[in-house]
Amino acid sequence: MKQGFVLRRLLQIVPTVMGVVLVGFLLIHIAPGDPVLALAGEHGDAEYYAFMRSRFGLDEPLPRQLVTYFARVATGDFGVSYVHGRSTARVIMERVPATLLLTGSALLMTIVISIPLGALAARRPHSARDIGISTAALVLFSAPVFWVGQLAIFALALKLGVFPVQGMASAGSASTGGSHTIDVVRHLALPAMVLASQELAALVRLTRSGLMDELARDHIRTARAKGVGEPWVLMRHALPRALMPVITVIGARAGQLIAGAVVVEIVFGWPGIGRLLLTSLQTRDTPLLLGLFLVISFTVTLANLVTDLLHSTVDPRVRLG
Amino acid sequence: MASLLICGISCTGEQPPRGGGTLVAAITTDPGHLNTAITTNGGVHNAAGLLYNGLVSLDETLKPVPDLAERWEVEDAGALYRFHLRRDVLWHDGRPFTAADVKFTFDELLLKFHARTRASVGPALLRIDTPDDSTVEFHFRRPYAPLLLQLDVEEAPIMPKHLFERGDPLQNPANTAPVGTGPFRFVSYRSGSEIRYASNKQYFRGAPSLDNVVMRIVPDLGTQLVALEAGEVHWLFGVPGPERARIRRDPRFKLIQTPGVSGGSNCVTTLGFNLDRPLFRDVRMRRAIAHALDRRQFVDRVLFGEGRVADAPISSRIAFAHARDLAMPAFDTAQAARYLDSVGWRRDGTAVRTSRGVSGTADGTPLVVGFTAMPGQGVYGDLLRAQLRAVGVDLRIELLEPAVFGQKVFTARDFDTAIVAYCNGTDPEIGVRRQYVSTNIAPVPFSNLAAYRNPVMDSLFDHAASALKVAERQRVYREIQELAIRDQPYVWLVETLSTYAHSIRCNGLAASSHFAVKASCTE
Repeated sequence: MKQGFVLRRLLQIVPTVMGVVLVGFLLIHIAPGDPVLALAGEHGDAEYYAFMRSRFGLDEPLPRQLVTYFARVATGDFGVSYVHGRSTARVIMERVPATLLLTGSALLMTIVISIPLGALAARRPHSARDIGISTAALVLFSAPVFWVGQLAIFALALKLGVFPVQGMASAGSASTGGSHTIDVVRHLALPAMVLASQELAALVRLTRSGLMDELARDHIRTARAKGVGEPWVLMRHALPRALMPVITVIGARAGQLIAGAVVVEIVFGWPGIGRLLLTSLQTRDTPLLLGLFLVISFTVTLANLVTDLLHSTVDPRVRLG
Repeated sequence: MASLLICGISCTGEQPPRGGGTLVAAITTDPGHLNTAITTNGGVHNAAGLLYNGLVSLDETLKPVPDLAERWEVEDAGALYRFHLRRDVLWHDGRPFTAADVKFTFDELLLKFHARTRASVGPALLRIDTPDDSTVEFHFRRPYAPLLLQLDVEEAPIMPKHLFERGDPLQNPANTAPVGTGPFRFVSYRSGSEIRYASNKQYFRGAPSLDNVVMRIVPDLGTQLVALEAGEVHWLFGVPGPERARIRRDPRFKLIQTPGVSGGSNCVTTLGFNLDRPLFRDVRMRRAIAHALDRRQFVDRVLFGEGRVADAPISSRIAFAHARDLAMPAFDTAQAARYLDSVGWRRDGTAVRTSRGVSGTADGTPLVVGFTAMPGQGVYGDLLRAQLRAVGVDLRIELLEPAVFGQKVFTARDFDTAIVAYCNGTDPEIGVRRQYVSTNIAPVPFSNLAAYRNPVMDSLFDHAASALKVAERQRVYREIQELAIRDQPYVWLVETLSTYAHSIRCNGLAASSHFAVKASCTE
């Protein structure tokens, strides 16, 4: 039953991803903008730009470009980036580790901080502690991430000198092994914290409201009446059920791990996918954009599948199929 | 005796300046590749200029001086240029540099893929000969005056034939692991992060004193500045206007300002009228707008005082071609109002003028003019709007990202007025001609924006390109500028400067493609 479900869902991923790429392809071509400027630079003559267009197949009719693209993708060839002059798959793969490191650490930080905070807030609703936690999370959530990022750079990097300002490792550093790891962690801390601060609010509030609902239920009262200790009530009886919406949100975030974090990557000069997405959009680097759409939509649909499976594990009432 | 000798060098306290060190420069975009012969994209040129050389380089006064070519002759009244190459130049991979590399680079890379060199040198060139390994001859169809100004590392970097002769040059592995002849050699390229160079110990002018140069990709200009202040970066290729005063006051930093280097240099911010639109067919309309603008304010408010009012259609930095004392339209709102009245745009107690008897326009139509620009030039729009409002013109600003701007303005020609920084380069042939000649009205970025057509102008430009005597070219360019002002297809607003900043921990830096060649840094 479960295997059939997984297989069916896996098969559904193919048309979903193809659909996303098709819509992406059409949108890129409907939107105004011309890649040739980014490709070639300015000051050319008409003949030159015509020559460059034909080199990259941009003079072909749209349906033919589309067919060519899908035929290539079917053979595992994602084309050559206009700007980088190299295989799209390689350009994307080079950026994946940095992005996963940033978004993964931020997500981990979010989970580790927000669930306990949400639980703390839910233990005594409307207490000073609850109001304090909720307000702080809300303020961080409402502040624009580029501003929080700049403030963090100004205060923690420039004034206190605790962290470096930008990049993923010290400039020109050829260090390896342990010292390299420490260097990367120092560079990672600030952007990961800023990114996590944005995600905190939603999870804190979801955990808090879920737990409050749960703690008011009959089975909790029964457990308490039987003399079960409060921590055990919270951890064993209330939390698993309260976490259902939290898992959904985490699942959605996990799907976007690979999409990177455009603003944080730009502010901190982090060499990830988010920045690649933005620059390839600005330069209308169609093969690279489509490759990114493909990778991102694939991970999102895959993460959704995993989320559904997790639901059924945490809550046996959830039926798959 | 031995100790005395050693002491003679090291004990006097006057040690020779200690070289070495690593310079970290911030660049805004990931260049994607490092081959400057196949693009004019400024990001690639900033990131990779240190790797290569041209046949000549240009000194501060833009005079051609030897680089890969140690001397040259100009014959046949300017239709033949013969270059004698240095024989002591090695590629970074150890192979010798020869005339075959020069011919190959021009034939297969520059004249195909370098937009400026292809468009300017290409049509005039007949062929390139290499009579021996250290001689290159450029044969032109007709005398071609500006060649020596188009052979520097920016306009014509020379690439190694042995790496590029096979396969598609746009996808050659050497584009991301490049080999050049320049003062620094390639070490590594980490996509989205940084590019590392090391001193070329065999550089034919002597090894640079820096050990390493790191090009650090920092997309946000604010972060670049903070990284400079935190000491993580030592050189910035640009400083945002509002921050310059602060950086200038700070003793830890120095600013360098220049009109730019080579092809992308000597830029004149220019307002262009779409002459295909009936609104701007009448020259009085164009003159009205020119008179309505107080261009001094653009220098003060947009450029923060750094730059100058354009006093001729050609940049004052191309000294031989820039004409002095021209009758540029002065700031005179009364004159602007008279022109607008005479065309039929009347101001009857209303803030915005309306038409009365303007041909092709229903009476009572308000005078609304579109203005299209890239986001970086939106500030010009705000000031233009305020100044034109004073004479009853309602300017509607539309800001478009570069890829869209190029298409909407130059391909679709769907605009009333637009602003472009026309970089004049080192010779009017490079960056001025393209704005005026009717053959350059094409769906091409930064071509003849106004769609200005005047056969007299076309023939004047042809004459100027083939005249060899500077005095003769000067005379023709003066005529060109007088005609441009009479026809007013553009309003030339301001000449801009490029601003570089560096930490005082590094010195010997200069604003050029080889900015770090004489630099040294202390830790």
